[in-house]
Amino acid sequence: MSERAETEWSAWLRAANRGDSASYARFLHGVTPVVRGIVRAKAFGLGGDQHDDIVQEVLLAIHAKRHTWREDSPLRPWLFAITRYKVIDALRKRGTAVHLPVEDFAEVLAAEAAPEPLVQRDLDRALAHIDPRAQEIVRAVSLEGANNAEIAERLSMSEGAVRVAFHRAMKKLVGASQKSSRGAGQTETRKGHEK
Amino acid sequence: MKTDDLIASLALEADRPRGLHRTRGALLCLCALAVPVVYFVNWMGMRSDWPQVLGAPVTLLKQGIPLALTLVAGAGALRLMRPAQARALSLWPLAVVAAIAATLWLWALLRTPEAALGAAFSGQTLAKCLTAVPVFALFPLVTGVAVLRRGASTRPMLSGALLGLACGAAAATGYALHCTEDNPLFFITWYGAGIAVSTALGTLAGRFFLRW
Repeated sequence: MSERAETEWSAWLRAANRGDSASYARFLHGVTPVVRGIVRAKAFGLGGDQHDDIVQEVLLAIHAKRHTWREDSPLRPWLFAITRYKVIDALRKRGTAVHLPVEDFAEVLAAEAAPEPLVQRDLDRALAHIDPRAQEIVRAVSLEGANNAEIAERLSMSEGAVRVAFHRAMKKLVGASQKSSRGAGQTETRKGHEK
Repeated sequence: MKTDDLIASLALEADRPRGLHRTRGALLCLCALAVPVVYFVNWMGMRSDWPQVLGAPVTLLKQGIPLALTLVAGAGALRLMRPAQARALSLWPLAVVAAIAATLWLWALLRTPEAALGAAFSGQTLAKCLTAVPVFALFPLVTGVAVLRRGASTRPMLSGALLGLACGAAAATGYALHCTEDNPLFFITWYGAGIAVSTALGTLAGRFFLRW
């Protein structure tokens, strides 16, 4: 990065601050590779897709805080300070997300124990592939959390028979869901292309 | 979202950004001082011997130390509003002022007879002093945080601490106009305690409100 970049960038940002969109785009395009370089160097532990997210966070911060640059002062120290701050911030956010203690979410987890309508619907659709008795077993296990003994009593089967029927039903379900998720995956990719 | 798309949408927002408005910020802080000032004028008042006490070194320092802290810490907090200035920040004047205060405190401690120490520390107006300084400091502290949020401090907790220090010291400077306790063992200890409370509050505020 040369002196030329410095003068160019400050000229572009000055023009941007007077409402010149083209200059602003040039400025942002100009700084992006530099920002990306810093992100790569500091966040090497994260995946490449995360790097892009952080680069965008930095660009947004530059945008939100562009009034803190004094037009008569050097631009690069200002730019690097913002970038460094946002990269550290992003790493901290991602770092703590992994180490959050599970107790903090006890309430949330408890609240999710009830079957969601969507889960219920997906399960209904999947269950259509298997016989009614197996359906009832799967429903009892996955939605009500019943154990084998309770189910055996309810359906007047032996516990062993329940276990075998459940196992077979699950195998079928997994097969069916793999087929349907492959289909869903294809639609996802198509959507990705459209975007 | 792709980075190019983001840039394209940001570029559309090119305009003259609202500046830091330092003057407006300063006015806001002065407005925040109105509540403590009105309270001071109506229910406290200047000490009757005020202009004369400035002639004595100890009472001059009683006003001068918090005033100096206010100016240095306040200037530092404002400076930190711009990124890239954190490194250029020099806080040694704060250390000098603190050293002067500590020396004065030690000097008073050494020349006070042991039997009189208790009375020197507790004074007559301890409760009022310990309430007034932090409470007066709260008002500029709140508006100060609002002003600093416009900036982009790369050290939010330090910014908050400096703001809290400046507000606490400003409150102590004002309160010293009223307070007639002239023993350094009293005013350095308890003004210091009030300023410390305000600094701690400022640090917390920085932690939660000055990050961006």
